[in-house]
Amino acid sequence: MKIRDTFLLPLAGVALVLAVWQSTVVLYRLPGIVLPPPWDVALALLQLTGTQAFWRDVGVSLFEFASGFTIGGLLGVAIGVAIGESRTFRLASTPVVESLRFVVPFAWIPLTILWFGTSYTGKIALVAYAVFFVMVVSTARAVAAVDPTLSRVGTALGMGRWRLAWSVHVRAAAPTIASAARAAAAIGWIAVVAAEYIGASAGLGLMITNAASSLATPVVIAGMIVIGLIGAGVSALIGWLARLRLDYR
Amino acid sequence: MTPVEQHPQHVDAGAPLRGGQLAVEHVSHEYVSPGRRTPALADVSFAIQAGRVCCVVGPSGCGKSTLLGLAAGLLSPSSGRIVWDGEAVRLGPNKHIGMAFQQPGLFPWLTVRENVAIGLRTRGLGRHEARRIAEEFLATVGLADFQDAYPSQLSGGMAQRVGIARALALQPRLLLLDEPFAAVDAFTRLKLQQELLALLRRYRPTVMFVTHDVAEAIAVGDMIVVMSARPASVLRIIPIDAADRNRASPAFARKLGETLECLGVTQ
Repeated sequence: MKIRDTFLLPLAGVALVLAVWQSTVVLYRLPGIVLPPPWDVALALLQLTGTQAFWRDVGVSLFEFASGFTIGGLLGVAIGVAIGESRTFRLASTPVVESLRFVVPFAWIPLTILWFGTSYTGKIALVAYAVFFVMVVSTARAVAAVDPTLSRVGTALGMGRWRLAWSVHVRAAAPTIASAARAAAAIGWIAVVAAEYIGASAGLGLMITNAASSLATPVVIAGMIVIGLIGAGVSALIGWLARLRLDYR
Repeated sequence: MTPVEQHPQHVDAGAPLRGGQLAVEHVSHEYVSPGRRTPALADVSFAIQAGRVCCVVGPSGCGKSTLLGLAAGLLSPSSGRIVWDGEAVRLGPNKHIGMAFQQPGLFPWLTVRENVAIGLRTRGLGRHEARRIAEEFLATVGLADFQDAYPSQLSGGMAQRVGIARALALQPRLLLLDEPFAAVDAFTRLKLQQELLALLRRYRPTVMFVTHDVAEAIAVGDMIVVMSARPASVLRIIPIDAADRNRASPAFARKLGETLECLGVTQ
């Protein structure tokens, strides 16, 4: 049962996708430039991992992501808590937060290129922005939704307002905040790669657009697979950390 | 007259009196939300002598919990005042109180021991001292073996014991109980009532105990304040003697009848 659940079923899903892919190539006699067969992509991937340039690109993208995620995440949680705790702050910030959060990160790409060029800074700002809005909204909601009995208990135990906010509300909201962080990481990672597609001096997105302009389709698809794998890895890492620190059931 | 003479059952000769006097003076309260005012209490007055147990009974939703919130300083009355040992209770955390709720409100991310210790830590005790006192009070409520358990691993009755241990561990001078036994089964409730009586005899705080169980009120209280439906006012104050507490006695039945009649429930 365990083997079936952890290996066989997931592998069956991957195998199915590969089979559909391979048969599409064969049935429609697609040239490698349009859609290379899975095997060619696997070879391209293997070749990529042997080059220094590839690891540098991965490193750049991950660095941009991690910096932006940390900045946006910390700011988002801090402001989210303030919104959840203080009516004044909530009323003052609602119009800004509620309208800006619908301006997707991609809408900012032209401006970030204008302001920061193709440097790291623009990508970091973009990720921070994307992550920030997810975290602000979820944190504010999670903090406000904490069981009021816990607040009354905290006050009855002698906690002042900020002690209550930190030791009770944030702690009680932590599991919700952690799952928001997972969603935010996905959006942040997507934002990094998207920004690199449009204007970058290094990174996975640039690697893929370069490969596309030289018609190296297997490399393009290999790069896309790497993006997917890293995204899944980051998401799993955050989930694992959250379980490690927050599992008390 | 000393409490010793009047209430022999509540007396432990060695226990020092910890509680102070609580006076509720013409307290009215209404909840105000946009476009709506909901009156909860209307001109409520009564006093609890130091070290006595006052049970507040009344129809559900009548404002009993509001009264506790006001006594704790969780709320501020719309008019009137609550006086503790000669001083009006102020809004905010108050050091003299300990409180237990119907939903015990244990922090699910803390162990049982940490749940009891956190209030002591908040009030400035050191880690080791807080831990020692928490263990002592958990042993008192019979949960010495569950100190490292998480709240989700406890039964309803056990969780309620932790809630009471947490309130008592603060060694409060005023203990506020908001239907702490309402959510446990009838048998556990009787057992918890007995345990509570023993603990109160030992620590002797002043107690305001809100309940909708009239038999519980007679079994635990020195006096019963009977409240009307919302907005609540005091219908009657019924003194309880030690002799009334025996559930099998005619005196118990008389007090029960008197209270129920006052609540409009005639048998």
